[in-house]
Amino acid sequence: MSENRYGGAGQPAGASTDTWSISPWSDTHPVPSGQVLRDQSIYTQLLEMMLHLRQTMSEHFVQLMSRQGLLQEQRHTEAIREQEALLDRLLCQMINLLQSGAMSGLELQVPLPSEDSRGDVRYGQGTQLSGQPDPVSQLSDCEAAFVSRDLSNRGIDISALYQSKSQGYNAYQKDKYHKDKNTLGFINLGTSENKLCIDLMTERLLESDMNCIEEGLLQYADWRGQPFLREEVARFLTYYCRAPAPLDPENVVVLNGCCSVFSVLAMVLCDPGEAFLIPTPFYGGFAFSSRLYAKVELIPVHLESTITAINTYPFQLTVDKLEEALLEARLEGKNIRGLVLTNPQNPLGDIYSPDSLMKYLEFAKRYDLHVIIDEIYMLSVFDESITFHSVLSMKSLPDRNRTHVIWGTSKDFGISGFRFGALYTHNKEVASAVSAFSFLHSISGIAQHKLCQLLQNTEWIDKVYLPTYRFRLRKAHKYVTAKLKSLEIPFHNRSSGLYVWINLKKYLDPCTFEEEQLLYRRFLDHKLLLSCGKAYMCKEPGWFRLVFADELPRLKLGMRRFCDVLEEQKQDLRVKQLKPPASQPASCSGTP
Amino acid sequence: MFALPQKNFRAPTTCLGPTCTQDMDRSHGDDLEGECSRKLDQKLPGVGDPVMLSSDTSYLSSRGRMIKWFWDLAEEGYRTYHMDEYDEDKNPSGIINLGTSENKLCFDLLSRRLSQSDMQWVEPSLLQYPDWRGHLFLREEVAKFLTFYCKSPVPLRPENVVVLNGGASLFSALATVLCEVGEAFLIPTPYYGAITQHVCLYGNVRLAYVYLDSEVTGLDTRPFQLTVEKLETALREAYSEGVRVKGLILINPQNPLGDVYSTEELQEYLVFAKRHKLHVIVDEVYMLSVFEESVGYHSVLSLERLPDPQRTHVMWATSKDFGMSGLRFATLYTENKDVATAVASLCRYHGLSGLVQYQMAQLLRDRDWINQVYLPENHARLKAAHTYVSEELRALGIPFLSRGAGFFIWVDLRKYLPKGTFEEEMLLWRRFLDNKVLLSFGKAFECKEPGWFRFVFSDQAHRLRLGMQRVRQVLTGKSQVAEDPHPSQTQKPSDQCR
Repeated sequence: MSENRYGGAGQPAGASTDTWSISPWSDTHPVPSGQVLRDQSIYTQLLEMMLHLRQTMSEHFVQLMSRQGLLQEQRHTEAIREQEALLDRLLCQMINLLQSGAMSGLELQVPLPSEDSRGDVRYGQGTQLSGQPDPVSQLSDCEAAFVSRDLSNRGIDISALYQSKSQGYNAYQKDKYHKDKNTLGFINLGTSENKLCIDLMTERLLESDMNCIEEGLLQYADWRGQPFLREEVARFLTYYCRAPAPLDPENVVVLNGCCSVFSVLAMVLCDPGEAFLIPTPFYGGFAFSSRLYAKVELIPVHLESTITAINTYPFQLTVDKLEEALLEARLEGKNIRGLVLTNPQNPLGDIYSPDSLMKYLEFAKRYDLHVIIDEIYMLSVFDESITFHSVLSMKSLPDRNRTHVIWGTSKDFGISGFRFGALYTHNKEVASAVSAFSFLHSISGIAQHKLCQLLQNTEWIDKVYLPTYRFRLRKAHKYVTAKLKSLEIPFHNRSSGLYVWINLKKYLDPCTFEEEQLLYRRFLDHKLLLSCGKAYMCKEPGWFRLVFADELPRLKLGMRRFCDVLEEQKQDLRVKQLKPPASQPASCSGTP
Repeated sequence: MFALPQKNFRAPTTCLGPTCTQDMDRSHGDDLEGECSRKLDQKLPGVGDPVMLSSDTSYLSSRGRMIKWFWDLAEEGYRTYHMDEYDEDKNPSGIINLGTSENKLCFDLLSRRLSQSDMQWVEPSLLQYPDWRGHLFLREEVAKFLTFYCKSPVPLRPENVVVLNGGASLFSALATVLCEVGEAFLIPTPYYGAITQHVCLYGNVRLAYVYLDSEVTGLDTRPFQLTVEKLETALREAYSEGVRVKGLILINPQNPLGDVYSTEELQEYLVFAKRHKLHVIVDEVYMLSVFEESVGYHSVLSLERLPDPQRTHVMWATSKDFGMSGLRFATLYTENKDVATAVASLCRYHGLSGLVQYQMAQLLRDRDWINQVYLPENHARLKAAHTYVSEELRALGIPFLSRGAGFFIWVDLRKYLPKGTFEEEMLLWRRFLDNKVLLSFGKAFECKEPGWFRFVFSDQAHRLRLGMQRVRQVLTGKSQVAEDPHPSQTQKPSDQCR
């Protein structure tokens, strides 16, 4: 039983790291290695070979042409080109056929995730493509954007990721709940968005100081961000992170979103194929951002929900676990360049104590690892008895040149549509390398002005915004957790964030990721969007993340649908258990 | 044919092949990391081998070091300007910028329009995660706008529109989804040099140059004329060097030539591309900045039938035509659904604020203001500034090219270079900068002939006058200065063009 709990049918032992490897469709199209092959269906293997073949062929033709080109034989050149076109067309047809086969497997296997905040994408699953063909799947949707003769292989890869990721979210976007116009539409408790303070923000953004048009805002400016904004960010972080000394605006780079910051950091800290350590469960967008442009791997540090001698609380991160994961990865020949931490944690809602934080940083220093700390939920700590300690509040950082902090306004101010993310790093070299990308991730001068005004007004933030925001978070949290308690559903959220991490293992029989996926589907069928644990690379099947930072009427309706689904699931489970026992009646036992 | 050493392209870990390497075969800025430049000087000049840049003390990955190194190099001229910017009151001896292609003539109009009450609007959907292609209301407005101003024979469709934070991002995204690493786009030179960096930084895609001459020969009717024959030759040469070409980039109106392509020419280029199954990216970012009425500008979207609509991708932005480079708004129009989807898949990294999207929709929708206030005034001011600068140049006896589109004049200063080398071009550029006027030199546009400079004229009269005065000082005082070769100042500024 316990084996089942930790193994999970979808995840063969020892395979966990393989799923993180860079997509075999990436730049060089290596022939799939045995390791990768083991995890994938025949379709996927064939598909990779075909893509490889297509690439090889095109290289061959280039060579052929180059020889031909010298001869200047127009007719020959054309003949070669026709041949090439014909072969390419045939290959593409084959690839398309394989793709649909592989995709139908994907359809069944991959959690159709709710889109999360900064690009929640199920990175691992995107490449895993395992499972058997399922004729019922929505082929037509997926097929379209896949193998196109007009896209490069990496373009195809990017599109595929996007498609697989956005289905649930797109369904929601097309059919949103509205209290008058669309009462049967989707309720989204899957995307981590703060919708509690739109009234306050709207009011604030309409104040007259927000509207300023200056020449400097409409022209090319400092690509790292307008100096006035970087100064304000430095002041803001000094104050809210309780930095012992004023932070330096020169150490700030602002980009259009935290996912951009993370993506660029991965670019400049790692070479392709190198890796970061990251404790699971973690925000899936990291996987997407590290892979998309940078081709950097994430090596999971698996945490467990059970309390044992080493685990004093569920999903505890310890230096031992970090060390173990690091050494194991090194044995496999991975080059680990850094450690990624999210504090407050997403999806756990945990906060690291200063002591543990210090231990993680010292661990990183010991092994010359960079530490990227994402503190995007820093002001969303709603339990008054708990104090959040930013890494910037430390008197002395163990390795300040390798510590890089990310913060943005999306969560704490509920303005994800603003597209703003900031990097704070003491390392001038890193700041300058990140700046090289900033013209591809720049923010409108007009928006930079508004952000500056927003961050500047600490009085409004302290006296109006934060008290109201936290009060509303508490209220919504209380409502949801009371519901969960009445359903006897174990959950994990102590103090911060916009979500609770809930355990629905008792509704899964057997307790596998396939069943988790089916339950996720069932929620979708009832027009409720949640995120499932697999999307966070959780090792144990059955966990879901439920976002509560929504207005009460929607939240209530969402929870009603939630209860309905679980009731239905329970009925099904009962019927299933009455049936003659299958070969192995493994069900997950009690919850932690 | 390729400015870049082949060596660079083979290094699998490098991201930056082409950027700026073209400029490295001479000396470098003193402010570069000492180690890098020293090593480069010792070794063969002109090869940006990433290995040489490695340093044990660096916190960056090797591609991170490369990127930083190139960045420091590329932005030098622009940074010098920023540290010593001209200001009528505060810094009258500061640098006048006639190098960056920005329209500074219509801020008064824009500021009035953007301050109107319809611009100040906040609603929940603008503050939340958007459709990553851009809000539908904006894409609808863009489609209508382009239909009207590009004179499209059929209404353009919002689903073919993808909105991003600037043309640079769009070039980068297109390069990534259309090409594999190391593949190339054809581009006629001289061209807006920053594209090299745009397609390379993430995409690791190169440019294969179609070199054009100032000499009018054969069937050419004007200098730097692009012909299908030249395209064919360049493509063949690329193949012969083992480079796979995936597309062709056309800038229309042209930067830095200030020229426009006729419908027939456009059609020929597109047919050429179709014949070779090449994508065509047409950058029409100066489309509304054609200030000379006699110039008949034709957008590629105005053609009755595109030879290969699935491989034709059009770019437009507000940076130039609306003088708002700081606003960060650009748009792709393509009938190819796969390309649109693939670009949109990258858009969460290149998105723009919802509030700004709303303002853009309001602006593009206001046809009355655009047609009756903004465009006539903008064109009149551009024309006046253009007339002033061209007359100054004529008075100096300096040949130049400019047909009445864009913000710049392509100036022939070859007679000021005794030996006609790029080193001299650089020295002259440096002399302009020393005399506090920033220009762009031809090498930054990959011009084949040393001695061409781009003068941007879309600036306020007082600055323009002062700028031209400083230019004149350098050129007329040339005889004395020429003896002094400034040996210590052969700093490499590289492309500050934008």
